[in-house]
Amino acid sequence: MKISTKGRYGLRALIDLGIHCEKGCVSLSDIAQRQDLSLNYLENIFSNLKRAELVIGIAGAQGGYVLAKSPENIALEEILSALEGDMSVYDTAGEQTELGDFLNRNVWDVIDAKVDNILKNTTLQDLLNSIQHKNASADCSKL
Amino acid sequence: MKLSTKSRNALEGMLYIAVYGENRLVNTREIAAKLKISPTYMEQIFYSLKKSGLVTTVRGSKGGFALGLDDEKITVGMIIRAIDGSMVPVKCVKNIASCKSQVRSNCLSRNVWVKITHAILEVADKLTLKDLKDKYLAERGVS
Repeated sequence: MKISTKGRYGLRALIDLGIHCEKGCVSLSDIAQRQDLSLNYLENIFSNLKRAELVIGIAGAQGGYVLAKSPENIALEEILSALEGDMSVYDTAGEQTELGDFLNRNVWDVIDAKVDNILKNTTLQDLLNSIQHKNASADCSKL
Repeated sequence: MKLSTKSRNALEGMLYIAVYGENRLVNTREIAAKLKISPTYMEQIFYSLKKSGLVTTVRGSKGGFALGLDDEKITVGMIIRAIDGSMVPVKCVKNIASCKSQVRSNCLSRNVWVKITHAILEVADKLTLKDLKDKYLAERGVS
């Protein structure tokens, strides 16, 4: 039940963009350096994010990317949908049986709904907020 | 974020025994037929279930499988772990050391995977075979 590297790296990159784009557009090479990610792969990831209208690319020497909408209007569901596709824990390939159908409705759909609830109700702003709090507590630990 | 077909078949097999094998042993051919899977594949599944103590076997022509524990003690989570090892969507949730990134101590995204894992486990670790058996029988109008 694994999230792909695209989903994992893409989410980190987008959160990084959210943190740094207040001062202007953010270059992929800066994100690559900060997040220890491959620039090539980031280009691939950001073409997904652009297609999903989550980021806007700015061309030119001082170019880069900015968020296409404010972080409180970007749900985790949109981000992972753009990067991972379908987030369901099962597919309906193969022959269906009566017990299988019962389990789809009473176990796998239930899990999907719970996960979906989190994805739909968590925004990029929520993620940025929780990072800020984490950094605040990290500062205190140096005292 | 797909769960393996194997673990879903395992749950189906276990539910079959819970429902139809209360007072008798269920043999491999019977389960394979009901699940519409090959007997060899089913034997692989049940080998893992046996290793985890979730089923017991009696050998011989009149032999077969029975649940290894009471049905109210067997959760969906236990069955999935018996087949797939773990239920986390990203390895670092279980063990941060499994992350090879330079920035893992300041990871921007791990919290998301932790939240998703909790959502999955909240269902999987609470739902027992007994819950499912009772619901299944109720749906079919049998008390």
